[in-house]
Amino acid sequence: MSAVLAENLSKIYVGGNKAVDSISFRLEKGEIFGFLGPNGAGKTTTIKLLCGMLAPSGGSCRVFGIDPAQNPEKLHQMSGVITEHAQMYDHLSGMDNLIFYGTLFGMSKSDCEKRAETLLARLNLADAKNQKLSAYSTGMRQRLSLARAMMHSPEILFLDEPTSGLDPESAQNVNTLIQELASDGTTIFLCTHQLRYAQEICTTYGLMNKGRLFATGNIGKLRSMVSDKVKVRVKASHIPEDMEYEKAGEHTYEISVNSEDEIPLIVKRIVGVGGDIYQVLTEQLSLEEIYFSLIDRNHAEMECGNI
Amino acid sequence: MNTQQLALIKKDIRSITSNKQVLMVMLMVPLALTIVLPSVIVFVTVLVPESTADFQRLLNMLPVTAGEHNQKQMILGLVLNNIMPAFFLMIPIMASSVMAASSFVGEKEKHTLETLLYSPLSLKQLFQSKILAGFSVGMMVSYISFAAMMLVLEMEMLFLTGNGIMPDMNWLVIMLLIAPAISLVAIAVTVRGSAKAQTIEEAQQRAVFLIFPILALVIGQFTGIILVNSGLLLGLGIVLVVLDLVLMRGAAGKFTYEKLLK
Repeated sequence: MSAVLAENLSKIYVGGNKAVDSISFRLEKGEIFGFLGPNGAGKTTTIKLLCGMLAPSGGSCRVFGIDPAQNPEKLHQMSGVITEHAQMYDHLSGMDNLIFYGTLFGMSKSDCEKRAETLLARLNLADAKNQKLSAYSTGMRQRLSLARAMMHSPEILFLDEPTSGLDPESAQNVNTLIQELASDGTTIFLCTHQLRYAQEICTTYGLMNKGRLFATGNIGKLRSMVSDKVKVRVKASHIPEDMEYEKAGEHTYEISVNSEDEIPLIVKRIVGVGGDIYQVLTEQLSLEEIYFSLIDRNHAEMECGNI
Repeated sequence: MNTQQLALIKKDIRSITSNKQVLMVMLMVPLALTIVLPSVIVFVTVLVPESTADFQRLLNMLPVTAGEHNQKQMILGLVLNNIMPAFFLMIPIMASSVMAASSFVGEKEKHTLETLLYSPLSLKQLFQSKILAGFSVGMMVSYISFAAMMLVLEMEMLFLTGNGIMPDMNWLVIMLLIAPAISLVAIAVTVRGSAKAQTIEEAQQRAVFLIFPILALVIGQFTGIILVNSGLLLGLGIVLVVLDLVLMRGAAGKFTYEKLLK
């Protein structure tokens, strides 16, 4: 059974705004799915559809076989959600907030306390556990939200910008935690604008723009959608004259190849003409470069479509 | 009722008691209506020099027999059992609507409602818990106010006249039927409006309209058009119970996740 299955899922709000336009994708258990796109792309609406907060206008979705619109309570028991508007109580301490939410998920008070202690320690909030939430910084609140979503050990986590407002160290800590959860079998549906972190932790991606899911797959697949070539940067005393290259600096050359298998041949040829090699680097497109390239291409395609 | 719902009710009650601003509003009105107002009436009646003819004229208009009670005792009995009940009904209305507005729209305002909606409680269970929280607080405030009023009045009467004062059947109907029923009406009206309301004040304003029939009762009582008695109160209670059933049934069906998140 797939962890998440969306088939032609659409959402049109009252007033005609088509927030999600017939998207289809499938996630397997234990995947970390990076759901990327600019503001207003339809990412949060998709999360709300998958959590049963919104009824689809068309198509269908299933989360571990459950239809969120038909059986939201059953789905909520096995999912944890972080969104910008899912806040906790300022008048309660961090610990009391976690105990309260744990109780809502049917946990006993002692189980809640044990689990909360573990999560607070893991998210570096143990010292602040008895402080009221009103005294928490944005980053602390965000980490506590993650602890809250994980209280009942859900099968799937829907995380909408879980690292927003976090300093780099905390963001790194949260990302490591997300990876640990995924390796234990938790499926992660992650919406983020922080592409560098997404590239570090996500196993597959979905790129949204204006309600449409225009690219899905792992980074290799997305990369191949932008370019089939691999860039090799070589620093050498000199290279064969008949080799195709672009000069990138003194004694530094950029060579495009079809695959990494061609690199040893390049090295052999340079050595063959008596060149000394100081450095060979493979330069692959980062997720950020892929994202901007695909988004620009999608914008252009949509504009052409409109014309 | 399951433990999850109980946890939510406890949290809602704790939210109110930890919010000094809301708590003050909930305490000031009962204090004024059950301690200050009756005390002023007792002191004025007992300490102002008697004008027997005026009192007698008033008593002659009312269906009470003098018996062996003295005039002042009778006047005070009249105030307690016929005039105070109408004022008292403002307490369950106010306490329940403040609580209902705070627990529904307050959660929306503070962005905590969405987090609750992601819990495994169904919308119906959330709705029931919120209503029960409002109802419990409304009833608690009402019963404590009544007990405090009787305690203060007894002490004042014993100190000033040497005789006690007893509530009659009207209060039994008020405390067991009308206060719970009107509290539920106030909650239902507040909750029905809370799906659209964006602020606590906006949600509470809807329950303010319930004060008008109460004011009519007070004015009617003072002008002699209406006389509060057990029969009238019982009739009013039955009307309120029917109203509760209609309003609650309609309110529960009004909520969907989508409407609540707007």
